Amino acid sequence: MKKKLVTVLLAASMLATMLAGCGSGNGGSGDKKADGSVYMLNFKPETDQAWQDLAATYTEQTGVPVTVVTAADGQYKTQLQSELAKKEAPTIFNIGSTADCAEYDKYIYDLKDSDIYKHLNDKSLALEYDGKIASVANCYECYGIIYNKAILENYCKNYPDAVIKSVDDIKDLDTLEKVATDINTNVDAINEACGTKLLEAFASSGLDDGSSWRFSGHLAGIELYYEFKDAGCDLTAGQDTIEGTYMDNYKRVWDMYTNTSGADKSTLDSGSLNAEAELGMEEAVFYQNGDWEYSAFADGNENGYTVAQDDLSMMPIYFGVDDENEGLAVGTENHWTVNAQADQKDIDATLEFLNWVVTSDEGRDAITNKMGLSAPFDTFTGDYASKNAFAAVASDLASEGKTSVAWSFNATPSVDDWRADFVAALTEYTERDGSWDDVSKTFVDQWSYYWKLSNE
Amino acid sequence: MEKSIRKYFWIFALPTMAAFTIGFIVPFLYGIFLSFCKFTTVTDWSWVGFQNYTRIFVVNGIVDKSFLHSIWYTALFTVVSVLIINLVSCGIAMALTKGIKGTNLFRTVFFLPNLIGGIVLSYVWLMIFNSILQNYSKTIVSSQWSAFWGLVIVVCWQQIGYMMIIYIAGIQNIPPELIEAAKIDGASSWQLIRYVTLPMLMPTITICTFLTLTNGFKLFDQNLALTGGNPGKMSQLLALNIYDTMYGTNGWQGVGQAKAVIFFILVALIALIQNKITTSKEVQD
Repeated sequence: MKKKLVTVLLAASMLATMLAGCGSGNGGSGDKKADGSVYMLNFKPETDQAWQDLAATYTEQTGVPVTVVTAADGQYKTQLQSELAKKEAPTIFNIGSTADCAEYDKYIYDLKDSDIYKHLNDKSLALEYDGKIASVANCYECYGIIYNKAILENYCKNYPDAVIKSVDDIKDLDTLEKVATDINTNVDAINEACGTKLLEAFASSGLDDGSSWRFSGHLAGIELYYEFKDAGCDLTAGQDTIEGTYMDNYKRVWDMYTNTSGADKSTLDSGSLNAEAELGMEEAVFYQNGDWEYSAFADGNENGYTVAQDDLSMMPIYFGVDDENEGLAVGTENHWTVNAQADQKDIDATLEFLNWVVTSDEGRDAITNKMGLSAPFDTFTGDYASKNAFAAVASDLASEGKTSVAWSFNATPSVDDWRADFVAALTEYTERDGSWDDVSKTFVDQWSYYWKLSNE
Repeated sequence: MEKSIRKYFWIFALPTMAAFTIGFIVPFLYGIFLSFCKFTTVTDWSWVGFQNYTRIFVVNGIVDKSFLHSIWYTALFTVVSVLIINLVSCGIAMALTKGIKGTNLFRTVFFLPNLIGGIVLSYVWLMIFNSILQNYSKTIVSSQWSAFWGLVIVVCWQQIGYMMIIYIAGIQNIPPELIEAAKIDGASSWQLIRYVTLPMLMPTITICTFLTLTNGFKLFDQNLALTGGNPGKMSQLLALNIYDTMYGTNGWQGVGQAKAVIFFILVALIALIQNKITTSKEVQD
């Protein structure tokens, strides 16, 4: 009897697993949709909740089902590849750069006649590929050197040997170098004179995978920008070979970052450094990163940082090339692409949804206030203009006549590979006294190597 | 009874076979097919023949050693970890079957690391390693060899407990009268191990070496979380190298797939040979 019971139980559990497999399949194809539906594969993990809420609101108002799935940080490409192969593929997905366009060409719907493209202020924020408007930027971001304005002002006022009179004196790399070196060398005297608790000038420049992109992507982007400008090629699409013309400037900035920081230069790749916290706890004055960091320093943020958000501001990454005219680096890796392989009714529903996002009150509120993004559409005015102080610096500088630096690193061929090689060389130089020539050589050689690979 | 089993066995085998086909055989064959294609997503492919296979070794007209590097790096890692894990776990198992006090406590403690997932475990060890190495101005990814020994330590720490349990079961299965007889015949404790315990333990050794060998070759989580392949790509084991090719290099999904096929053949071959060698040493009763 007992044996029989066991057999029955085993058989039941076996059947259950099989039925469960079929069950989920049925569920997906079971609800037949009369009209189109929207499926968005979201790129930014931090905006997930806001998108879920927005999707629910839209479904409530129009009855159109909207699914939002967010890929885990760093897993976007993995998930996109498997999701696109499914029958119910995403109708909206993110494309980072022109290089991505080549890879996903078959899935790219031409957005030329779409409403979101018409609403886009700055048409250069759309990616063009193969005669199509491949994708439209859904936010623009800027990066530069985030600095603690309050501490710097305090330093100018209360530290007798300060090398500058006011914060506005920092207008070029020379001055920035001087200030950073002075603060880092005399940190104890400054703490005493100003009542601060500084440990260093620049926050640590971690070379682990969680931080190295700031240098292999963003800082390298400045070098690439000046180089592409000289070459006269498209600033964000780049070209097949680079010369490394400004690698000496890169070295100067990099040396400043590492020499005026409290972090041990030989263990920068340990992964235990937290540069954001160093600025947040007012231990450091400078920190290279982007305006997406703004919300991390908000008052009452769960990080528990002591710094006041209003005390922070951003300056360009002075590169010693054209400091006088250089603004913040403005661009984006966030673009909406509509899946051309989806059913026409789904494409229509998707375009309508995106238009609703950028025109309705709910959509604009979510993007500006909940996600904290700066949206490049003409509908974002008044209450919906960006409240990000770093982004405001970008437009202030632009209106002063400075040129915003384009995101030239978007042109990087086989991004992950190229960055890995470059970071390895940079680590060798920084941690183990490798030669700078090797860094430059890797920078230049690997570029054309991977360019050739991805374009053959 | 016998007859009806023969007649109806396929009905009983069907559910499992169906699941196995859907979950394993079909994707496997499709994977082999894809290794001859250029593809972005698995439904969108174009045939390119052996191009993916040549690209593993020749890139841009230059011989590319990264895959070969990860093959021998993985092989070395596997050899070292198989040796350490089996020797140590067998030793602990022998000690813990002697009836010393607190045996159960020791067994539990040694087994515990196995209950922690590979990623979490590696992050914990990453912190331990780096805080120690900091004193010497080094990190775990300072060179491919520090990364190597880091991986060995983590994997050994994780797997020794598991293998120990299997060894304990094996040792307890040895009939006590055999040992008693050997003792009466005047065998020394070394002779006891060499001529009684070890031969009787051969089936267990087969299982344990098989498990550790394939685990070593397939290792991924710990590699990803502990070293991430750094410095450069020097500490990439095979699985991570394939993953990196698949998702890191633009348009190289097919090459990643081709590497995976080679990887499969390699692991299958080695596992078969190992199985053959150790099984031949087993004592038939």
